[in-house]
Amino acid sequence: MERLEYFFLKRYLKAPKRNLFRFSFVFMVLGIMLSVGILSAGLHLFQGYESTLKRLLLDSFAHIGISSSTGSLLSEEQTALILALATEKDDVVSCVPMLNFQLMAQSGDKIRAAGLKAYPEDNYQSYAPYVIAGKPNIRESEVIVGHYLLQELGLALGDSINLNYPRLDQITPLGIPNAQFNYRIAGVYRSGYYENDRSIVISSIADARELMMNTGGYSKIEIHLQDPEQAALRSRDLVSVLGYDYVAIPWNYYAESLLRLVAMEKWLIFIVFSFLVLIAGINVISTVSTIIIDQKTEIAVLKTLGANTRSIRRMLIFRVGLVGILAVLAGQVFGALLSWLVEKQTFYQLKGDVYFIDTLGAQITLPNLAIIFLVASLLVFVCILIPLRQIERLQIIEIIRNKH
Amino acid sequence: MILSAKHLSKTYIDSDQTIKVLIDASLDVERGDLICITGKSGCGKSTMLHIMGLLDAPDSGELHIGGKVVHSNSAEAPAIRNRDLGFVFQFHYLIEDLSALENVALPMLIAGKSEAQAKARAKQLLAVLGLAERINRYPNQLSGGEQQRVSLARALANEPKLVLADEPTGNLDPAHSNEVWEMIRSLNRDLNQAFVVVTHDVEAAQKANKSFELIDGKLLRIDA
Repeated sequence: MERLEYFFLKRYLKAPKRNLFRFSFVFMVLGIMLSVGILSAGLHLFQGYESTLKRLLLDSFAHIGISSSTGSLLSEEQTALILALATEKDDVVSCVPMLNFQLMAQSGDKIRAAGLKAYPEDNYQSYAPYVIAGKPNIRESEVIVGHYLLQELGLALGDSINLNYPRLDQITPLGIPNAQFNYRIAGVYRSGYYENDRSIVISSIADARELMMNTGGYSKIEIHLQDPEQAALRSRDLVSVLGYDYVAIPWNYYAESLLRLVAMEKWLIFIVFSFLVLIAGINVISTVSTIIIDQKTEIAVLKTLGANTRSIRRMLIFRVGLVGILAVLAGQVFGALLSWLVEKQTFYQLKGDVYFIDTLGAQITLPNLAIIFLVASLLVFVCILIPLRQIERLQIIEIIRNKH
Repeated sequence: MILSAKHLSKTYIDSDQTIKVLIDASLDVERGDLICITGKSGCGKSTMLHIMGLLDAPDSGELHIGGKVVHSNSAEAPAIRNRDLGFVFQFHYLIEDLSALENVALPMLIAGKSEAQAKARAKQLLAVLGLAERINRYPNQLSGGEQQRVSLARALANEPKLVLADEPTGNLDPAHSNEVWEMIRSLNRDLNQAFVVVTHDVEAAQKANKSFELIDGKLLRIDA
């Protein structure tokens, strides 16, 4: 940086009110602030949506589910073998055998399809955080039911619910055998993941076996890992040890394509909203052009005194660039505020049946802030450079002569 | 020889009219010279000065500064304007956002001197020109004569070989005009500073050691 440029930069920083906060910058600053604010809010909200969806999916599905490759239940011996093998590694948070199957939940004349999950007694840690009413540690004849399923059936905590399990695989001359029992609702489950909240029923293993008309065995072993990203790798390792009588399905199998789609949508929104910054850049071009026209005499004087075009251009870049960067930062603060307001508002709720989750949350991450800052600053910088070519075309002599 | 203009010609085309403002004009400037160029309004005095100051290019002819042929479009032109030439215009052309001190320091900052050095020298120059009390004033807080003296101080900042002044008193009342002329003469006499002054003030021009008049594009010496 040359002495002249440094001198002017110092002046801009020392007396920002006189040099930077001028009326000619108002619309430029507003344009950048608004566009960066919208871009930031969009990205923070999509990031929040992506993170929430991922967290809920990881909490709702096992990171790895190991079951029999034939579809039959796992015997007690098989279960013991898998549990012993799976818990050998330190990265396993929990490894729980469970039963799950589809059934019908009924209350009066209202019938809904539901998915039953049953865990051995005292193994409630995986779903306990989402039990919003009642207790997670259920006993026999007690069930935990999803929030929306309860709503659809018109039931509440403490009420009774009928669960029917039609054995379609055991058709007899008398028809389809049907197990039907009545349970007390001891807990309400609400994770925010709509599909689960409208279908889940959690019971004890004994109750599930009674419904299934079965005496032993498990549908699968649910494994939760410290690092869910390792699930695919660990699944392959486990199958290679267990053999092909078993299948190990990582969470990615169910959810990765959805998460990739959400991530793609997030960046698509980012690109679309970046065009807003580009549109705001038109104000930057106009502001710089106005400054050049307003200060052409000063520019001519500096050129007369021997300043080269590059120096003058840099001085303008510093001046408008400083204002631009401050506007980008202000826009980022505005964006954070906007996403906070969207998160806190109560008049609009996400439709869970469309968007999978029903809460709109924002997440501000450092990489996203850096990306917004870099992209917005780059666009502003390019818009500053475009009109600066006018300086080269300024004819000193014409300006000095015209003043006469 | 500080500057030598040889056979300069310049023509302007104004709609369907061709105006020859300079025809074979030559001028040599030596150290300690105080040269005045007079002539009618629009006769080409300023054009002559602008060509000598590398602000404009002649249609033909050569300009030598420091023994080298130079041109307004040449790469070294900004450095020559900064180092070897000083400019004073009819309108002071001070930068409104800078104080008198900062305005005078500008050419030195462009030359690469430190801010401290530039300001120290600017302070000294403003004191010599009687503006020691006005160094922190902005141009709009100074009188016309003071503005022109600041402009003169700025022209002298890098100790140029030659100061080119275009109607330096053209915008001043007689009292301030005399003040500026006295300043020019004393700088020329005491510091041996060379000046080329374009003026329509024939009386003042007679006090110069070389006087020229531009008539119909031709530069004629009138004091010989």
